[in-house]
Amino acid sequence: MSMDLIVVTPEGESFSEPVERVVLPGAEGDFGVLESHEKFLAPLKPGPMEITLPGGQIEWAAIAGGFAEVTGNQVVVLVDECFKAHEIDIAHAQHTKAEAESELKALLEDINEEDRRAALEDAVVRAGVQIEVHGRSHA
Amino acid sequence: MANLKDIQRRITSVQSTQKITSAMKMVAAAKLRRAQDAIEAARPYAERMRATLDEVAASGLDGSHPLFEPHEEKKTLEVVVITSDRGLAGAFNANVIKAVEALVTERKNEFAAFSLTIVGKKAIDYFKRHRASQISEAREVGPHVNYLEAQQVARRLMARFEHGEVDEVVLVYSEFVSTMTQTPKISPLLPFAPEAAGEGEEEKLPYEIEPDAGKLLAVLVPKAVEIEVFRALLESQAGEHAARMTAMESATKNTQELIEALTLEFNRARQAAITSELVEIITGAQALD
Repeated sequence: MSMDLIVVTPEGESFSEPVERVVLPGAEGDFGVLESHEKFLAPLKPGPMEITLPGGQIEWAAIAGGFAEVTGNQVVVLVDECFKAHEIDIAHAQHTKAEAESELKALLEDINEEDRRAALEDAVVRAGVQIEVHGRSHA
Repeated sequence: MANLKDIQRRITSVQSTQKITSAMKMVAAAKLRRAQDAIEAARPYAERMRATLDEVAASGLDGSHPLFEPHEEKKTLEVVVITSDRGLAGAFNANVIKAVEALVTERKNEFAAFSLTIVGKKAIDYFKRHRASQISEAREVGPHVNYLEAQQVARRLMARFEHGEVDEVVLVYSEFVSTMTQTPKISPLLPFAPEAAGEGEEEKLPYEIEPDAGKLLAVLVPKAVEIEVFRALLESQAGEHAARMTAMESATKNTQELIEALTLEFNRARQAAITSELVEIITGAQALD
């Protein structure tokens, strides 16, 4: 017995498989979903997603910004980005993070650059999640 | 009578033009296919998003969000113009720019000011010359449309709308109808109107919402706006390649006609040269008799 996990991003469906259990980074804290969970909707924050496959094998993915819709035996996760652990380009993520952080530091004083700062902070968080997920799956 | 060599040179030059136009057509066709795939790939996300948003809005639960609210005072209209970076695509970019100018003229009485967010080098070039003071943001499309860029554009628009800097936002872009047809489309973006909002009976949402509806809407509504911008960019991208493909196909056809006409002229000139040579030889021979 299992439920279907469907991860959809604006660039396509990136995951659609039966899973045993999934732990999602909810805006108010992580939460796990098992089969026959009550129907509900929850916003997500950028973070790692832990997927337990039917065999008990665990897979990690980095997701960023979106929400999850749980209906009966289906979990639909709508997010901006989803990288499975093996898809993460660790060098690229580290580079992005370092670059965004240094630009952010230079920007801190200037209040007019609010949008730019928000975008950079977002970039730091997203890259950080990728690095974390990469680390976990290779632990 | 044109010189044989001149005609030959023109034929060669037209032939090399034809090689370029037909190569460009092929490249555009390949890119069009990829652009159409990207539209297809974005569809499930947009549809699910729309469905969820409509459900939430129809449930009548405390569905207020600053992006839903029309501004009472209408001072500034923000026009988001989407074109391509490159030309040689027929009237593709000109049509969008024309639609923007028409829109501005039409709504001149309603709004005191207009401001422009521009995506695409072609529109940047045009508006820098004609409405430089009204440009609030300008960026190029780049080789591929990606979601993060759409998100940045959308977020800036939403922030400015919420701060009251702009009172309405409309998108003007090319809608990809088919390979042969792309029509400029004007679609309102902000204030954002969920389709089912306002009317119909309120249905209870078959969901539990965690933590609460307000927080969920705060995530959902900006996402829905972002996806609208993303979709417009994707449509424009596909339209660009389709328009270029069509333009290059007809250019290739025209060069073919030109080559045929020139070849005919070349053959005539050659025949004329042979005839006149023959006449000379025969006249020479007769003179000897």
